[in-house]
Amino acid sequence: MNLQRGIHSMIEQIDGPMASFFSSCVHCGLCADACLFYTETQEPKYTPIYKLAPMRRIWQQQFTFWGRLLFKLGLSKPVTDEELAEWEPLVYDSCTLCGRCSLACPVGNDITYMVRKMREGMAASGHAPEGIKEATRRAIELGSPMGVTINTLKAHIKHAEKETGIAFPLDLVGADYLLVLSSAEIAVFSEIIPAVARIFHQAGISWTMASDGFEATNSGIQIGSSDLAAELVNRIVKSAEHLKVRYVISPECGHAYTALRWEGPNLIGRPFPFEVVHIIELLDQLQSSGRLKTTGTTDARMTFHDPCQMVRRGGVIDQPRNLLNKIASNFVEMPESGIQNWCCGGGGGVSANPRADELRLKVFSRKKSQLDAIAVKTMVTSCSNCRSMLEEGIEHYHMDTNVIGLTELIAEHLAEPSEEPKP
Amino acid sequence: MKDHETLSERLAEQGISRRAFLKFCTALASLMALPPESAAAMAQALAKSLRPSVIWLSFQECTGCTESLTRSYTPTLESLIFDMISLDYHHTLQAASGFAAEKSREDAMKNFYGKYLLVVDGSIPINGGGVYSTIAGRTNLDLLQETAKGAAAIIAVGTCSSFGGIPNARPNPTGAVAVSDIVRDKPIVNISGCPPIPSVITGVLAHYLTFGTLPDLDDLNRPRSYYGTTIHDRCYRRPFYDQGKFAKTFDDEGAKNGWCLFELGCKGPTTHNACATTKWNGGTSFPIESGHGCLGCSEPHFWDAGSFYTPLSAPVVNIEATTLGAAIAGAGVAVAMSSLDRNKIHRAQQAHEIMSVKDL
Repeated sequence: MNLQRGIHSMIEQIDGPMASFFSSCVHCGLCADACLFYTETQEPKYTPIYKLAPMRRIWQQQFTFWGRLLFKLGLSKPVTDEELAEWEPLVYDSCTLCGRCSLACPVGNDITYMVRKMREGMAASGHAPEGIKEATRRAIELGSPMGVTINTLKAHIKHAEKETGIAFPLDLVGADYLLVLSSAEIAVFSEIIPAVARIFHQAGISWTMASDGFEATNSGIQIGSSDLAAELVNRIVKSAEHLKVRYVISPECGHAYTALRWEGPNLIGRPFPFEVVHIIELLDQLQSSGRLKTTGTTDARMTFHDPCQMVRRGGVIDQPRNLLNKIASNFVEMPESGIQNWCCGGGGGVSANPRADELRLKVFSRKKSQLDAIAVKTMVTSCSNCRSMLEEGIEHYHMDTNVIGLTELIAEHLAEPSEEPKP
Repeated sequence: MKDHETLSERLAEQGISRRAFLKFCTALASLMALPPESAAAMAQALAKSLRPSVIWLSFQECTGCTESLTRSYTPTLESLIFDMISLDYHHTLQAASGFAAEKSREDAMKNFYGKYLLVVDGSIPINGGGVYSTIAGRTNLDLLQETAKGAAAIIAVGTCSSFGGIPNARPNPTGAVAVSDIVRDKPIVNISGCPPIPSVITGVLAHYLTFGTLPDLDDLNRPRSYYGTTIHDRCYRRPFYDQGKFAKTFDDEGAKNGWCLFELGCKGPTTHNACATTKWNGGTSFPIESGHGCLGCSEPHFWDAGSFYTPLSAPVVNIEATTLGAAIAGAGVAVAMSSLDRNKIHRAQQAHEIMSVKDL
């Protein structure tokens, strides 16, 4: 862990897109107004592209003519350890990798991609927040960032089997789908476990869980270590290959989806022999193909919080709305919903970083104003991390809003087998 | 010719009436866009003026400028304007030769130091110490520097002395330059053109004699009254340009109908001069009226501005070849640079230490 290793790591990360993004930045500052850490604090240091300043200088000093010349002449000062320490809170505490800046950039620079890459150098130089380091250690050593183990899951499964009367397949070779969960779902929102079982049972799909790869969150991606991220992804890939499944179901967890669906094959350096599908994508497929049937509607006013990794990084926008429209008669959109939705403030490792708590709750004012605009008491979402963060923010601001998971909501409206219309 | 004779006395001797002289002054005043009452003032001033001493130095030139002024057609008031001045040295026109000729220049310089006008035609070669053009064993450069010292003002007649002209054209073997490239501490008027219009020369001289000052000048130090508009602005074929009627060859219907010569390379739109209004040969015509486009001779570097027969809108260089060359060179540099960068990233990848939880 030293400065040189960090700088080396950043050089290693500078690829074609990085170089073209840095050289095409026109310094317009439009990304500032796209970032909730800037809009809610009005502090210029939270301008997204500014968070990359040390890495930008490394790019100039290593890869550009003038940068190299000035560096050689000693006119461009080298990046120091102190500087990286100063940037640590900017790169980790005030960025949730939500992707809103990338969307706002008029020249198409993917700033989120750059922050993700800069974190590689930050982590290699030892400048990652303690909270995320600990979460990563737990993920590697214990099996999940929150410390839940396969035994915790097994206890929940036993409970759920009793509650639903449905047998839970574990390590079933030859199943179509492998279900993986996020540790928050196992530890906090465990009602999703029986909910998923009931839906899959009704839809009649062949599925299983794996005792070696049951958890899909990826602290390696949040801290910015592709080596560790690959190790975590590999657990699921190995289980899926061992069980010969055709699909792996990403849970209601934003960055787990990003890690599996988008970064996964690049991390392990080969294509997956299976497809990755988000649980909401799967539910939408099942519903549109008639295998998933719901009954009744709720007339409570409801809105939907789009998890950043699903809408902006993943393109899953219509699916949750298709599902909600079947069961919610009074669905309203928040202002700036869908692809422009504002982050809960806790993505990208921020929720695992206690140092950032105060800032995270401060910038939750953006979500509060979004909610205040439509005065809705029930907010549905499809990411367990968003859900925790939303609940904390709502508590902090003494708001009267209830947050529920979309999968559970669907399960509540699941048509009983007897109610199924005959084909 | 007596030195202290006034112009009106001199004209009367030549049989030129006062009425003819007034007409000349009025024409000059209107050409120079001066208010009408200044014609009378000019006549009065010119008639009374004592002739200032003028030294005319001819350097790397063809004598066309002098020809333009003195031989353009049968003697007129323009040529007689020489009578307004005491031309003390002009090696083409003077009778004296050898040491006597040089002495007359030295005398004029001594007697009228700080008051004489210096007229220059021809460019000054400076390569090899100026050896490419010498007079009486001295280089043009040397003569100009010496003579300019005592001059009240310098009038550069013709494009060579104004901007370097044809001797200055690429590859300029003699290192020909303009007067203004050498003399920087004297007022200089450039009367460009190859050759310049005679009445422009006389107009500037008359202005100096009447008002004691030089006329208003443009950014290239040319009198604004003559060089303020382009040939194209005042061209009688301008309406055809505006209607998009162009001659495509010198013998097509368009050419016969007198249509615009833009596509045949006329440089009128970028050339500032008075040809289209004062015309040449006693007001007979000017080049475009004879069916040939303007060459742009009163503009700097007119000889190097591409073919006289290429339209102004056509590029001077070969665009395809230049672009292809630039693209190939650029691609070569890019490949070299990117391979350097690739090596650097490759080395960083080689140096990568696998991160484990112990490293956190």
